[in-house]
Amino acid sequence: MTDPHWLTASEASRAFAAKTLSPVELVRHLLKRTEALDPKLNAYIRLDAEGALDAAHTAEKEIGRGRIRGPLHGVPVGVKDIFDVATLPTTCHSKVLIDHIAKTDAVSIQKLRQAGAVIMGKTATHEFALGGPSFDLPFPPARNPWNPDHHPGGSSSGSGAGVCAGLFPVALGSDTGGSVRNPASACGIVGHKPTYGLVSRRGVFPLSFTLDHVGPLTRTVADAALMLDAIAGHDPEDPGSTATQARHFGRLLDRGVRDLRIGFVRHFHETDMPAHPEVTAGLEEVSRVLQAEGAEVRTVKLPSLDEFRGINRVILSSEAWSIHAPWLRERPGDYGQLCRQRLLPGAFISAGEYIGAQRRRLQLIAAVEDVLRDVDVLLCASSMDPSSRLDDEPETSRTYPRQARAPFNVTGHPALAMMAGLSSGGLPVSVQFVGRYFDDATVLRVAAAFERATPWHKKHPPIG
Amino acid sequence: MDQTLLIALAKAAGLEKALAEFPADVATAAAQAMANAGAVKVPDDPRAEPWPPMRPGVGL
Repeated sequence: MTDPHWLTASEASRAFAAKTLSPVELVRHLLKRTEALDPKLNAYIRLDAEGALDAAHTAEKEIGRGRIRGPLHGVPVGVKDIFDVATLPTTCHSKVLIDHIAKTDAVSIQKLRQAGAVIMGKTATHEFALGGPSFDLPFPPARNPWNPDHHPGGSSSGSGAGVCAGLFPVALGSDTGGSVRNPASACGIVGHKPTYGLVSRRGVFPLSFTLDHVGPLTRTVADAALMLDAIAGHDPEDPGSTATQARHFGRLLDRGVRDLRIGFVRHFHETDMPAHPEVTAGLEEVSRVLQAEGAEVRTVKLPSLDEFRGINRVILSSEAWSIHAPWLRERPGDYGQLCRQRLLPGAFISAGEYIGAQRRRLQLIAAVEDVLRDVDVLLCASSMDPSSRLDDEPETSRTYPRQARAPFNVTGHPALAMMAGLSSGGLPVSVQFVGRYFDDATVLRVAAAFERATPWHKKHPPIG
Repeated sequence: MDQTLLIALAKAAGLEKALAEFPADVATAAAQAMANAGAVKVPDDPRAEPWPPMRPGVGL
């Protein structure tokens, strides 16, 4: 049998139903593993062992009586510390909110609890889901299980590190400029940013209202679909939520890619932002594998990464400033330097510049939609480099912005990042798939076909 | 950005404290804001609308 800590959510669910493993046994095992490994990884800000064991006992009783709520029943989940979990602190990894206790669950947490999931605790993030790894915050930055000297991506850094290290099989993250897909890329797991409006953001501390998304981090594509099934759905109290009927996100996972048309956005990593050679080689291999599986891969062109990045930053800075201005005025010293530097630009952007970016944004959306009329899914880079050393601040500053994820926060299209290989230094390299609005199922279908055809999802970091 | 203008804009935004305690961060932020805004090609067409669209019922 697979070690319990490497069980996927789907496998754990089957083991619970077959009574070869119980939710309490799994949670106890993961707590022991956390005790052994997390001092090296810092994935958790706040482990809720008591709450997790209580929830696991409840799940165990229900499953024992044959009242199985679904495939996440009894499954442990890590939660980024910008989501409200009732009675636990939501600190956003910041001194600013160090004493803030959540009164109610975020909607996505409510939905996970309804599905029977077990909340393990709150995971590390970049401060307020912005910036990068920092050492001047109340909690240390999470580290990459493939090599703890390197960063695990972010901002959902603890969620990524924890899934990768087998501290929990699935986690929740948020994504405003790539913050679910970045840790997925750095840690060699799966991170899915759903279509904008598919998952409620109520109860999640906002960074940028028109760019924020909630999404799962998992070790397999099937688990990402299960998580999305649980958390998707219209929320009339989230102004960005859409009343869509999109459901059953895993329904196409076994279909393969035969007859699908895949647009390879080469200029992102070849000319706009030339990628590390091992990343480029990994992307070419993804293209080859998908063609071998029967897809048609053709080169397509989108607006440049520079344009997307400029728009993402103007909108993000402006919207984040509207949230943080009172604290930045009164207590700027309570922020870490990196976050403060990333939030302050909003003070210098005019209303006209913000609206100008939103007007150009609609044109970029139209340009991506034009391409997606001719192809079913886009294939492109996620990170342009393997993750850098945490103690190499200049290299982290250089490589962190070298990514192709922000374009799909600007447009709102569904986007998934996953492992596409290992670098010569033993660190994951990644690929990103992007689909049409509310066609998350086809994105997951392509990712599942790639996963089946390659060994990467079976590789685990060398941490025991 | 001109230092006098930087200070005036920062004060107008209520950032006196940040200006006093973290002047380098404020200067870096102002430079970033200018660079980011300058990278946006604002549409020439006066009819080009922003996202989200200002038409009821039209969204993603």
